[in-house]
Amino acid sequence: MATLSVENLTYVYGEKSPFQKTAIEDVTFSAKSGEIIGVIGHTGSGKSTLVQHFNGLLKANSGKVLLDGADIWENPKEIRKIRFKIGMVFQYPEYQLFEETVYKDIAFGPTNMGLSAEDINKRVLDTAQMLGITAEMLEKSPFDLSGGEKRRVAIAGVMAMQPEIIVFDEPTAGLDPAGRDIVLEKIKEYRDRTGALVFIVSHSMEDMARVADKLLVMNSGHLSMFDTVKKVFSNPQKLKKIGLNVPQVTKVFSALKEKGIPVDENVFTVNDAVSYLLSFLKGGKNND
Amino acid sequence: MDNIIEVSDVTFEYTDNDNVSTVLKNLSLSVERGSFTVILGHNGSGKSTLAKLMSGLLKPDSGTVTVDGITTADEQNEIEVHRRVGMVFQNPDNQIVATIVEEDVAFGPENLGLPPNVIRERVDSALKTVDMYDYRLHAPHKLSGGQKQRVAIAGIIAMEPECIVFDEPTSMLDPKGRREVMDTIYRLNKEKNITIVLITHYMEEVEKADRVVVMDSGEILLDGKPSDVFSQVEKIKEIGLDVPQTTELLYLLKQNGYELPDGVIATGDCVSELLALLRRENCGNTEC
Amino acid sequence: MIKDITFGQYFPAKSIIHRLDPRIKLVLSLMFIIFIFVAQNAVSLAFIGTLTLLFVLISRVPVSLFLKNIKAILFVIILTSVLNALYVTTGNVLLEFWIIKITADGVKRALFMSARIIILIISSSLLTYTTTPTELTDAIERLLKPLRFIGLGEAVHVMAMMITIALRFIPTLIEETDKIMSAQKARGADLESGTLFERIKALIPILVPLLISSVRRAYDLAEAMECRCYNGGSGRQRMKQLKLAGRDYLSLAVLVVCMSAIIAFNIIF
Repeated sequence: MATLSVENLTYVYGEKSPFQKTAIEDVTFSAKSGEIIGVIGHTGSGKSTLVQHFNGLLKANSGKVLLDGADIWENPKEIRKIRFKIGMVFQYPEYQLFEETVYKDIAFGPTNMGLSAEDINKRVLDTAQMLGITAEMLEKSPFDLSGGEKRRVAIAGVMAMQPEIIVFDEPTAGLDPAGRDIVLEKIKEYRDRTGALVFIVSHSMEDMARVADKLLVMNSGHLSMFDTVKKVFSNPQKLKKIGLNVPQVTKVFSALKEKGIPVDENVFTVNDAVSYLLSFLKGGKNND
Repeated sequence: MDNIIEVSDVTFEYTDNDNVSTVLKNLSLSVERGSFTVILGHNGSGKSTLAKLMSGLLKPDSGTVTVDGITTADEQNEIEVHRRVGMVFQNPDNQIVATIVEEDVAFGPENLGLPPNVIRERVDSALKTVDMYDYRLHAPHKLSGGQKQRVAIAGIIAMEPECIVFDEPTSMLDPKGRREVMDTIYRLNKEKNITIVLITHYMEEVEKADRVVVMDSGEILLDGKPSDVFSQVEKIKEIGLDVPQTTELLYLLKQNGYELPDGVIATGDCVSELLALLRRENCGNTEC
Repeated sequence: MIKDITFGQYFPAKSIIHRLDPRIKLVLSLMFIIFIFVAQNAVSLAFIGTLTLLFVLISRVPVSLFLKNIKAILFVIILTSVLNALYVTTGNVLLEFWIIKITADGVKRALFMSARIIILIISSSLLTYTTTPTELTDAIERLLKPLRFIGLGEAVHVMAMMITIALRFIPTLIEETDKIMSAQKARGADLESGTLFERIKALIPILVPLLISSVRRAYDLAEAMECRCYNGGSGRQRMKQLKLAGRDYLSLAVLVVCMSAIIAFNIIF
């Protein structure tokens, strides 16, 4: 069980330079194992800056990041060890692949952890299997794979470190729908298997409705909302004001309600919408 | 019918270490002057290859591609083809040549050897069309993704092409950038009467097209008006593509025995169809 | 933020020096550098120093920026001074111990050389502070245009195009390096400790992706340029034509007068 707490975090870019800009200000929240948290906000809202503090890639000007109650910067020399516990998958992670073979690339993180050869081998094979990376692919050069496959290899490279907390920065950007579905499914599977705490930075409300338990909404450097998906999406006006949207089917339901149909607005996925409408049509009445 | 692009019976093969893979198989497609065509397909379906064939970057192995009656296969026609069909690519960074916005936009007309005062007029007008005139003296690397992509579009329209092929122009952008670019593309088609071929896997970008072509393994699977193509929900899902949530919602309700039209895309249309359905089903009399 | 680093040293301001034709500025700067070496005595060098100071004031570029550049090469200035002071052993002896002998002539020589280097730095900074890298590239391309008569026209164009593209992509690549470094650090890469060999080895996970991405960018850019009818330098026209204005001729005249003055000072004093 891991708990990540962020306390009064403030980060200023280029302090005391002409380019000075407060990226995040006084952000406080806490999250624990087993949750998938969607981090949403428009570009420049500070969401990417915020998550880069979790594993000490950025160091806040004030405030703390606590892992299980201990400040991650308590011993600055040990920050690498924190990075093994809190993994981070960057945007377009396939651009960081560098090894001759897929196997070696996935092994890079576990090797840096100083594990035994046996452990490394086991982790690489297990992770590869979970992500649908075949034995044949493991021996190939990562640069000979398709875009979707490369993405999975890059994700495997971080998952093989078996972090208790894992952050994904727009894991589905640029993928086609099939590639996107696989990646989201695998993230969920990782959470289910390891009980990790997962953060997903995303622009897609449809994706978030499908996989996230909670949403952390950033707006101009401030934490605007941190609540269940249902609670956040039930406030479309507030989201709209900060330049965000709700899923298309939620919009349909809001419009129906505006037209005087007593439907529940808290419908965020197509499947929910279908089952809701079916029982609504049959029962003529549905308050659940 | 007046066609700007004619692709007839084109086969294109890609050779890599003695492995020959066929990307396009005997494909024929014509694009009507002034139309807005969307080409959908998952990664590896051959849609990008088709785009490059249409813009003369690639030459067919067999079959012919003509632009405004000019055969692209002939090296001598290269400039004539490129000035008629412009192309905008996925990565906004990798298509901007100069260090100042207006100088980049001038690059195409400069290559055409136009008189300096004509270049100036075209650059200013192109920048105004994409709403980037105020940024004409900025450095491209400091712009947002959506802004960069609009500069790239300005660079193409300054050559005054008949047609522009867009190869996934929004896939690396955030929702705001995506909206800016899509609005610009619609405007080019409606106001400047430029023929648009848009390659994408975002279903919401299909709504306003005149025609949708769905590609799968190098062949055309579906071709027609958006509403016709999206009535084939199963076929589209089978090849790993999505349909808009609105389309899927009505489709699934129809599967459950309710009488609803196929291929509804716009949120407003979906709402009115649902309202009509609820009225027909007389949902519980009391509420409706 | 790393991407805020402005490449080159251009300092935007409104001054007559900023507005000068970049070709003229480049030629004048070269002439000025020649002056510095032509000046053979303290009077001519003092004259050049005064001129330089005057130009700095006209340019409206903060003096602190020039000082920053001097500070950057302070080591070179000190080293040159010391070597000169030790090398010249004629004149009154000021100080002597062990094998070291400092003379008045030596000190004079050291001061003269330091002044030369400082003026050299200030005058070349003046060029880069008042001219954008793009303008400079343009100026070089157009000044070298006569080379087309000996068949080097395309070579000059290609060189200028390469500089332009480099200037365009350096900030992008700096940003990308930053991103790749963060990503590899997140995978536990250790870039800060170890022996020299280990540190060089630790760069591989950064250099390989950077190289691959640069190749991809180059390939993309080539296609984009082809789509924009790029066909080398021949038949290309430029939107911005450089035209010499009154101020350009005037500045040229001023410099010629100064040149004559320096030669006169060299002879008289």
